[in-house]
Amino acid sequence: MKDLKTTREKFQVKLTSIVSLPQLELLKLEYLSRNGIVNELLKDMKSLSIDERKIYGQQINKLKDEIAKQLDSTQKKLISSLNQSKYDVTLPGNMRKNGSLHVVSYAIEEISKIFEKIGFIRMSYPEVEWDWYSFEALNMPSNHPARDDFETFYIDHPENKEFGKMLLTPHTSSGQPREMMRLGKPPIRMINIAKTYRPNWDVSHTPMFHQFEGFCVDKKINITHLKGTINYFVKEFFGENREIRLRPFHFQFTEPSFEIDITCDICDGTGYIFKDELQTKNAKSRSFAEKIKCKLCKQGWLELGGSGMVHPNILKFSGINPDEYTGWAFGFGVERVMMMKTGVGLNDIRLLYEGDIRVLEQF
Amino acid sequence: MNIKITYSWLLEYLETDADPYELQKYLSLCGPSIETVEKVDGDYVFDIEITSNRIDMASVYGIAQEAAAILPQFGKKAKLIKHNFIKPQAPTKDLSINITDSYHLTNRVLAVVLDNVIIGKSPEYIQKRLKLAGIRTLNNVVDVTNYIMLELGHPTHIFDYDRIAKQKLIFRESKKGEKIISLEDKTYTLYGGDSIIEDGDGRIIDLPGIIGTSNSIVVDSTKRLLFFIDNNDPVQMRKTSMNLGIRTVAATYNEKSPDPERAFDSLLLGIELLQKNSGAKVASSVIDIYPQKKLEKHVRVYLKDIQRIIGVSIEETPIISILEKLGFGVNRSENDELAYPDGVSFDILVPSFRYNDVSIKEDIIEEVSRVYGYHNLPSKMAPLVYIKQPKDIENLFKVQTKSKYYLKHIGLHEYLNYSMISGDLIDKLRLVRKDYLRIKNSISSEIEYMRNSLIPSLIKNIKENSGKKDKLEIFELAKTYTRKDDQLPDEKYYLGFATNSNFADLKGVIDSLFDELNITDYDYENNNHSILNNSAKIKIHAHEIGVIGSLKQELKIAIDVPNDIFVAELDFETIANQYKVMGSYKKISPYAVIKLDSTIMSPLSFSQIKTIAKLSSSYLQNIELLDQYEGNITIRLHFTSYTENLTENTAKNELASIITSINNKKSFEKQSCHI
Repeated sequence: MKDLKTTREKFQVKLTSIVSLPQLELLKLEYLSRNGIVNELLKDMKSLSIDERKIYGQQINKLKDEIAKQLDSTQKKLISSLNQSKYDVTLPGNMRKNGSLHVVSYAIEEISKIFEKIGFIRMSYPEVEWDWYSFEALNMPSNHPARDDFETFYIDHPENKEFGKMLLTPHTSSGQPREMMRLGKPPIRMINIAKTYRPNWDVSHTPMFHQFEGFCVDKKINITHLKGTINYFVKEFFGENREIRLRPFHFQFTEPSFEIDITCDICDGTGYIFKDELQTKNAKSRSFAEKIKCKLCKQGWLELGGSGMVHPNILKFSGINPDEYTGWAFGFGVERVMMMKTGVGLNDIRLLYEGDIRVLEQF
Repeated sequence: MNIKITYSWLLEYLETDADPYELQKYLSLCGPSIETVEKVDGDYVFDIEITSNRIDMASVYGIAQEAAAILPQFGKKAKLIKHNFIKPQAPTKDLSINITDSYHLTNRVLAVVLDNVIIGKSPEYIQKRLKLAGIRTLNNVVDVTNYIMLELGHPTHIFDYDRIAKQKLIFRESKKGEKIISLEDKTYTLYGGDSIIEDGDGRIIDLPGIIGTSNSIVVDSTKRLLFFIDNNDPVQMRKTSMNLGIRTVAATYNEKSPDPERAFDSLLLGIELLQKNSGAKVASSVIDIYPQKKLEKHVRVYLKDIQRIIGVSIEETPIISILEKLGFGVNRSENDELAYPDGVSFDILVPSFRYNDVSIKEDIIEEVSRVYGYHNLPSKMAPLVYIKQPKDIENLFKVQTKSKYYLKHIGLHEYLNYSMISGDLIDKLRLVRKDYLRIKNSISSEIEYMRNSLIPSLIKNIKENSGKKDKLEIFELAKTYTRKDDQLPDEKYYLGFATNSNFADLKGVIDSLFDELNITDYDYENNNHSILNNSAKIKIHAHEIGVIGSLKQELKIAIDVPNDIFVAELDFETIANQYKVMGSYKKISPYAVIKLDSTIMSPLSFSQIKTIAKLSSSYLQNIELLDQYEGNITIRLHFTSYTENLTENTAKNELASIITSINNKKSFEKQSCHI
């Protein structure tokens, strides 16, 4: 017969080296499971007499209870101490390293989604274009200033008899005749977001940039629809508290034409900011002496871009009857609206294309 | 273009109770955009933007006319003050002057000779107004030309009468190579075909509409003047001005077609001012060469069209009032057989100063709607209608976004480069310039050729950022432009990668991306490439869709880059077509997987080893690469069965037979293979 005392002592020793709950569980199994040490002891009693079995049995059961109790209390102690173990939560976590996307990618995505919601489809058209699509079809006849060498990039390629010179399109409006010809006739609800090219290179111009063009042609389209759609876009993209205004302007391909202004976010559209940099919500109640003119905008308004009702010639040149159908169009700069939106002081557009990783990785 | 005029000047033509700031606000909303108002010296200066189609607004008079139509819409009083310029009395002398335009280069020429001139300073108010307008003041004669231009909107010129040889002025076209010396004492060589004036001695004495020449302008000793107004072909004006780079204010007016009718009032005002300010006396009759006065122009507009396009039922009275105030003549008629308002139409007589700008009903509608006020229009949305987006484009944009975000989230940085590269870069990479579309008139050699691959730009990015960041892993998703004869180039989206780390990293990115897009049937096959070492074709379904490799050593030196550059480029449109939303389900084996490691040294490629292993054992489920070092690879093989539990012994036997097969193949035909 095994010496119960030895068993008990061995158990105590093992118990002291338990530091985790899984270890404790294993120890419990070792002693108290079906094939565990305690049951083995009970099985060994076969060789004893009935009287001896009675005494021995009682002692084994007592040992079993003790072991169970000690395992239980050790578990309780372990649970308590593990629950209280301290970890400095302010230590940095193991972050996954993110890369970055280009500012223009985020802008295009957002603009696309805004127009998708109101049923506009995004299309893609040639950037290297024929003169016809970029100018003639847009009511800019051959001596128009926009066709001068210093306003448009021309490709070294022989002229096409029908379509004229090959060039890099200076505006996304070349998508208008392309879409009209693709569909044949209205309804048209199109957004073209693409690269455009002009020979300018300074703090607010790069020779390649992006524009997005909205184009809507149908029966009974009028100026209120143009106003409504641009209003919708501005509120979705810039926020509910931004307002627009339409100002008369001139483009060859729209009549009437408008420039769209949006309220300035720096001065909340008031035209003034305060030296102590408090919010301008109470602008009108503050004393005049504390106000200084907002440097960014003009009397509280920032230029957003151009738009207008599609000139009837544009419809005609692409085979659509202007007596039956009317339309509106707008064109805004992608980099421009993004730089106006974030307000992060990205005030030099060239930064976006200079390729410095330290700029790009911030996004 | 912009002009500057002052509030006090404007009030000479406009009777109003509006203050300068109200003027700015209301006019900008409905007409000319008054960009700034500045209080200077007791007066207010307006800085006004003039659109190219409205040169009629580029004057005090033009702005006054706009204000008279617009201000009443906002409840302000406004009335246009008409000036009756005095016709000159019969001249006491009749100094001769002979002007010919046999080639019909001008639309109108007005001229008159004045003598008794004493050159001096202009009166204070003229000096002040010109200065506030940003125009230099010179003397009481030259200042008159600028003053008139700002007040009435037509450029004028003054010759020194005595410097015109034989009192003859002959309009003709220049020949290529002829030279002039401008009044700024700069010499210009003419392109030929420019409109010029030569005198009786054959000397060029003016570049009409653009700039005077030093041999005929007024000087301090001038005693007799030829006051001269010419109205020219706007296209020729612009061409000559831009070619020579002479961008005078007069040129910017004349290229926009000022109204020849208004030239006459300018002549009268000029005579008046010259008489008053310099003591001049009219010394000839007025010459007016005006062969083709424009015919009256009419446009018919229906009331219902006005209402339809604006979207608001504007009534007749405000429409007529607005148009008349703007200078249009309105003749209303009604077809009684149609129900109101369908039968109502207006016969609009277009004033001469709007001839070039107003031709169709939409032009009239613009006049009505802008003065009515766009701020008064409601905002509506066009009815929603379903337009089907071409599936390939829809898919392309969708997969573009997914791919970009995925690459961002695994640590890469997106680049957007110019679509053009320099000839220098092409040369350094020993590529051929003729393969590229070239821009004829680029503003920099940096951006002269249209890219037909993203790789050179990405190589340049890595070079320019070496030292700014240790590990560079970048990508670009953009169009490339492959030239085609007599057609527009092929514009296709490509996905390019570049890194300075190692081949395995780059390949891992591509494999991970394919995994993300659920593209499984792809492989890599060695090939040769003009600028890459260790280059491989990337194939999907055995079709080549891309390339990967590392920049050749001699090109690294040419570009001047210290580290190796690994690049890849994929045909993105094909990848987008292969994209699947989800992968397909593979049954999970309920039985254990036994993993055994082995180190192999073999001349075979990893892909060849995998193929042999697969062929040798049907229980082989997967092979992992654990390590590679100098020709040795350590692999972990996963063995399992879908029908029963394998024993370790079975697995070991499978491994042994694999190793034997591998060792028996010392060489292998060049084949692509994959698992």
